Amino acid sequence: MTADAFAALLPFIVLSAAAVAVMLAIAIRRSFRLAFWLTAGGLLVTLATLPCALSVAPAYVTGLLLVDAYGLFFHALFLLAALAVALLCLAYFRRRDNENEEIFVLLLTSTLGALLLVSSAHLAMFFLGLEVLTISLFPMIAYSVRASRPLEAGIKYLMLSGLASSFLMFGMALVYGDLGVLSFEQIGASGAELGQKPLALAGLFLILAAIGFKLSLAPFHLWTPDVYQGAPAPVTAFLATVSKASVFALLLRFFTTVHAERSETFLCVLGLLAVVSILAGNLLALLQDSLKRLLAYSSIAHMGYLMVGFVAAGLLRRDLQAETIAFYLAAYTLTSLAAFGAISAISDDARESDRLSDYTGLFWRSPWLAAVLMLSLLSLAGIPLTVGFVGKFYVFAAGVQAETWPLVTTVVVGSGIGIYYYLRVVLAMIRTVDTAFLPAQSLHPAAGLVLAVLAALVLGAGLFPQTLIDAASQTPQISAGAPKGNRHSAP
Amino acid sequence: MELTLFYLSALVAIAATFMVVIQCNTVHALLYLIVSLLASGFIFYLLGAFFAAVLEVIIYAGAIIVLFVFVVMMLNLGSKTIEQEKQWLCPGIWHGPAALCAILFAELLVTLMRSGAHEAGRIVESKTLGIALFGPYLLAVETASMLLLAGLVGAYHLGRPLRSGS
Repeated sequence: MTADAFAALLPFIVLSAAAVAVMLAIAIRRSFRLAFWLTAGGLLVTLATLPCALSVAPAYVTGLLLVDAYGLFFHALFLLAALAVALLCLAYFRRRDNENEEIFVLLLTSTLGALLLVSSAHLAMFFLGLEVLTISLFPMIAYSVRASRPLEAGIKYLMLSGLASSFLMFGMALVYGDLGVLSFEQIGASGAELGQKPLALAGLFLILAAIGFKLSLAPFHLWTPDVYQGAPAPVTAFLATVSKASVFALLLRFFTTVHAERSETFLCVLGLLAVVSILAGNLLALLQDSLKRLLAYSSIAHMGYLMVGFVAAGLLRRDLQAETIAFYLAAYTLTSLAAFGAISAISDDARESDRLSDYTGLFWRSPWLAAVLMLSLLSLAGIPLTVGFVGKFYVFAAGVQAETWPLVTTVVVGSGIGIYYYLRVVLAMIRTVDTAFLPAQSLHPAAGLVLAVLAALVLGAGLFPQTLIDAASQTPQISAGAPKGNRHSAP
Repeated sequence: MELTLFYLSALVAIAATFMVVIQCNTVHALLYLIVSLLASGFIFYLLGAFFAAVLEVIIYAGAIIVLFVFVVMMLNLGSKTIEQEKQWLCPGIWHGPAALCAILFAELLVTLMRSGAHEAGRIVESKTLGIALFGPYLLAVETASMLLLAGLVGAYHLGRPLRSGS
């Protein structure tokens, strides 16, 4: 292994070592705090190795992984999100003092899966990364084994993601059977005549179905509300942000590298998925009175908005596409983490507070917590001064510029409906109730720290988005600077 | 000739899998599943992937199915178990899987008689496979180890006995 390959692999190596170290530490001595500090340390050291990997980027490592600026942007995002989730776990599982340290090992392995997924340049790595992510997520979802709801959610997730994985496998088999290659780059090389290769095209659609499942795009979204509601709140935060963002980042890399966007059918299907997701997500969210279910449906709608950005910006310019997706995913990750973090902060392992009635008058009981939740909901709704607005503006601008009017109309309608149900929660929070009977919410310092930082970021990036925009636009056109085989010259 | 053999074993695989899906009784379904796995193992063999064929038989038809059978047997603890197991072993249930296996066996004999002139595919030895796994696919192997670690930790957490209180 050359020194360059080693530098490019360093984040993965450090993260894997951290997972093993936490596991060994648990085996020697069970201490929740020790496991947490090791996890946080591992994540921070991994973050510190990113500049080292960036110095050699873009670089292929054994043809399976492509370490480039695009992937490293998401690596940083996911590592920070995992750090936030680790802090939330520290607050959430504080009351259970028996054997709940494993969550940190699983958190580290699933983060590793997300990192591998974003950097994969080969179908084998794509599958393995996705499986590492999924297999680690499923025990995390069912983590509170005493309650029935997390177990139910875990089983649902396991079954349906197993189904999605088999679709993915079958799709990959068809692609390989028709083209005889597995790396994205080589599939892309035969991308021009993809229209004349029905088997490979069918395979790509099967892969798209599996990805649609992971992103909970509309026809594949049925698991989302149950799993979101059943999972412990910090795990839901992870599931909603890192899991989805990594799959979307991969979607962009995969489908642009294999030139799927040259096929009109493909863009039509993606547009259709976007429209159905936005409408289904927003309309079904109207009916919910559980905040976690509401956010689950809202996440379906947000994946739809992202897909609009993907299609519209893809019609315009490739670099704009990467920038739009990177910015929107970062904004969505920050905002969702804040929203689920607030839910997590007022729940604990004994009781999930997710009914809307739990939030009635929250503003008068703990104003700061309510303010953070309010801010994140407004950001999800896309109200100006928040980072969610800038993200939605990107999607909207791309849609208008590409003149994809049906998509733009759906985004407008969806956002309109969205404002109604987000504001419903906000209104419930500021309703005056007799607070004498309700206990004041005590906030764990770890959760408080996470929420304060996230709220500052949501507001800060909303007021001064330039820093984040610069970071997002630094993610250059995917594999444009790749060391070999750049085949993006065709229009 | 190769093609005929392939289509025959593919038909056996499809028929066996179909029977797996429509059986009401788990153990009967497992019998057909073994046949289905043997048939796909034979297809690997015809393609020249001897090593994959052997793995298919040893790991899937051998280890994993035995595990399945054990779990099925252990789950049905209770007074009705003996009656139920008698019912599972009723004579006649082996006819279907045995017939399918006989077809596969006949194919195997035919192939062996023809003293191995393989037109289809190219022969992949275990050495080639090992070199591929620890050469270009090294990272995939390492990732699979992390996958197993995650699965192990998760299974441990979900499977450990619940303590009351503590």
